[in-house]
Amino acid sequence: MDSEEYSKTLEERFHQYKIDVSMNRANPEIEVNHEHMIEFANKLKKDESYEILMDVIAVDFLTYGDVDWKTNDATNTGYSRAVKPTIIPDIDETFKERFAVFYQLLSISNNQRLTLKVFASESNPPSVPSLVDIWSSADWFEREAFDLMGIHFEGHPDLRRILTDYGFIGHPFRKDFPTNGNLEVVYDEEKEEVVYQPVSISTRPTVPRVIRDRND
Amino acid sequence: MGLETDNDLIDQQGPGFIITSVDKLVNWARTGSMWPVTFGLACCAIEMMHAGAARYDTDRFGVFFRPSPRQSDVMIVAGTLVNKMAPALRKVYDQMAEPKWVISMGSCANGGGYYHHSYSVVRGCDQIIPVDIYVPGCPPTSEALINGIIELQEKIKNEESIANG
Repeated sequence: MDSEEYSKTLEERFHQYKIDVSMNRANPEIEVNHEHMIEFANKLKKDESYEILMDVIAVDFLTYGDVDWKTNDATNTGYSRAVKPTIIPDIDETFKERFAVFYQLLSISNNQRLTLKVFASESNPPSVPSLVDIWSSADWFEREAFDLMGIHFEGHPDLRRILTDYGFIGHPFRKDFPTNGNLEVVYDEEKEEVVYQPVSISTRPTVPRVIRDRND
Repeated sequence: MGLETDNDLIDQQGPGFIITSVDKLVNWARTGSMWPVTFGLACCAIEMMHAGAARYDTDRFGVFFRPSPRQSDVMIVAGTLVNKMAPALRKVYDQMAEPKWVISMGSCANGGGYYHHSYSVVRGCDQIIPVDIYVPGCPPTSEALINGIIELQEKIKNEESIANG
């Protein structure tokens, strides 16, 4: 059975979960609503024998479709994405279809890969159900996605930061996080310890300052 | 050192002669056994390992990696120093016995390098500890690191060890 046929079979078999099947290269990509997600993931593991969760990927669609680099104006400041000093969005801000989480599944017994896609809820923080109870490898993947993207995984047993500094504020992979960060560390000779201070550098333009038309 | 002629030289050049001669002896001893504390942080550490292994063999210079800061004279900061590691780096440096020196290896340790504009990287390990020698490169070759070690030996040879206690 080739992948096209396989994805059609999946679509028919799981139509009650309102899934949306498309093709990601040669493998099916299935978008599922987060209400049905746990149930559907359980089915994938038990009935379709997707034994392994290879990776969890979080995506921020805030600037999706914006083409920062396509411009006719040459400025001295370059493009301004991700230099706004936003740390955490306002409490009442909702994230309509802003964050999505992708799960890469692998079935060893069927030699088949599958991508599971789910949009996070529109609450703040955005949340999706945790898959730790189904695939235990989701534990640290979900902690990483929480740390860098600020996605809350409901039901995760130990949702702590995993990579960033102790006491770090914000989620650095969000599109509205300033690339320079907010704090830097230096050694304080008087206190004889390493201390935090506001960043001392400014953002550098990352586009060419002179844009020439193509000579054709 | 020809002690029988020293009195003549002291008559000619003053008592500083003995201090400089002892300085030379002490510095010679120090340069002959600089034991670095292993502080590999990134890909620079691979080049540092090459320098320490059979082909380049820094043991020829008496440079012999130690796992403990208490037994070390020099710290080679090899790689990207991130904010989270900075207090640990300072703690290890503080644990080293005097006299101590620091070699900053590679662009990241020298000034943040590729990650200079990052939210999580220290813009040069000299923000945290005093640095004696900066070895440029990304990563510097093993030869460059050995050159840095030799430069540090030259620097130590010109220090006034006795006068500084």
